[in-house]
Amino acid sequence: MSEEAHRFGRGRHLVGIAGVPSGTRGETGVIVLNAGLVHRIGPFRLHVELTRQLNEAGYPTLRFDLSTLGDSTATGGGQTRAQQVCADLDDAMNLLTERAGCERFVLVGLCAGAQNAHIVAARDPRVSGAVFLDGYAYRTLGYKLRHYLPRIVDPARWARVLRRRAGGGSGEARAAAEPIFAVAPAPREEVIADFTGMVSRGMKLYLVYSGGISTHFNHARQFRECFGKVMTHPSVTTRYVHETDHTYILTGDRARLLDGIGGWLTRNFPLATAGRHA
Amino acid sequence: MRPDSETPFFFGADGGLFGMFHAPALPARRAMLMCPPLGQDLIRCHRVYRQLAQALAAQGVAVLRFDYHGTGDSAGASVEVDWDRCVADTVLAAAELRTRGGVDRVVAFGARLGGSIALAAAGQARFAEVIAWDPVLDGGDYVAALDAMQVALRQDGERFNAPRSHADVAAQWLGFDVGDGLRRQLAALRVDATEAPTLVLDSMPASSGARWERIVTARGRVATIAPPTPWNDLRRLEAAILSPPLIQAVTGRLKEIA
Repeated sequence: MSEEAHRFGRGRHLVGIAGVPSGTRGETGVIVLNAGLVHRIGPFRLHVELTRQLNEAGYPTLRFDLSTLGDSTATGGGQTRAQQVCADLDDAMNLLTERAGCERFVLVGLCAGAQNAHIVAARDPRVSGAVFLDGYAYRTLGYKLRHYLPRIVDPARWARVLRRRAGGGSGEARAAAEPIFAVAPAPREEVIADFTGMVSRGMKLYLVYSGGISTHFNHARQFRECFGKVMTHPSVTTRYVHETDHTYILTGDRARLLDGIGGWLTRNFPLATAGRHA
Repeated sequence: MRPDSETPFFFGADGGLFGMFHAPALPARRAMLMCPPLGQDLIRCHRVYRQLAQALAAQGVAVLRFDYHGTGDSAGASVEVDWDRCVADTVLAAAELRTRGGVDRVVAFGARLGGSIALAAAGQARFAEVIAWDPVLDGGDYVAALDAMQVALRQDGERFNAPRSHADVAAQWLGFDVGDGLRRQLAALRVDATEAPTLVLDSMPASSGARWERIVTARGRVATIAPPTPWNDLRRLEAAILSPPLIQAVTGRLKEIA
């Protein structure tokens, strides 16, 4: 199977790489959105590894750059960012329909990519599934108890705080670090309503949150704390991986993530042409 | 910029190399091959490479950006990256650029190991000039720096909730699997001067002690770019490298040699 490079979209402004396994026409297509500002290959080539592994399993894929990211340009036209993202995904789904006959789609997004995938998944009936990696998160009461209680009772931590204050602190080093979790907050009730709407129309959801967003999320129970009972719906699968970082820098962590996504996809979107692809 | 002026495509014997051709706004009289660095530097430099390519295309230079086997969008796994294959891919890419751009005179540009690869390929690829941005000249030092960053990464409290095991971080450099072959090749790497005139754009921190005399002959020169580029700062590992002064320096040089 070889990959295809495409310039596509309503303004031929988008750039992406499609992977179309032979003999799999009409299967569920998987579209991978940019993670933050990283171009379509993904952090540490995560999106390349993911799409190729899914191609091997028989799923058509597209990893591409949204308007103004990576190698894609703007279309102009005064759209809001949400409108632009929906239009770009419409172009992306049309491309996979044309190249592989896909009629339903699974979106995969990390961080801001999860937020963008959420926006489209909530509105577009062609989206049948979504994988949200470190998507929306809210500091719940449970989060705060888990975060602050151990610190309050830890004498070593108090000693470090006092030492830092006496020595003027190390704010410079901390300030130099780049923010890595960049999902803009949305009203929680809206997000819950979106999730509820998604599962009620038959969508399958896979939420994987990492230890790399411990400023916002710190336990598997927090899915329920954040989003309520919709998280216990049979169409929703959640996973919290405390030891990993936000962008899966270690190749073993990445491999386990990819296996998890592949397994979830196989269970929820089994191939109609199983065994026919290369 | 017309979107159609930038064409993504695959090339090479097995169609496995990804390229992005930037057609010039004017009839091309010269061309530039942009050799990417390896590993995380490739991702960090993607935007500045694209900005530079667009600026050059606007002034009439045909430009090809591409990914070596095992990197970016090209075929192959990260663990398959091989120095000799990178050099061979560069030679192939230069030929592809000559065909697409319709010009024979190709200048090569590369950041860090991309500059080193351009220098190593200069003879075979018949580069008219090499512009190398902070090229890696001594692979041993480079390997030692990456090893040290990988050790620090293992217990990076900004990234992980708890230190990771040695096994978790083994045989990788900052997010990418590294084969024994590439490690040996880089450890033994020593880049020397080529026949092609070489312009070194130096933005290394003063503390690095970088010395360029070995590759800059009488027909070349060194230009300093400020501010220093934070190549080896773990805290900025996922931050893009952006440099308007770099773009000015390279576009200015291409005007000089028009």
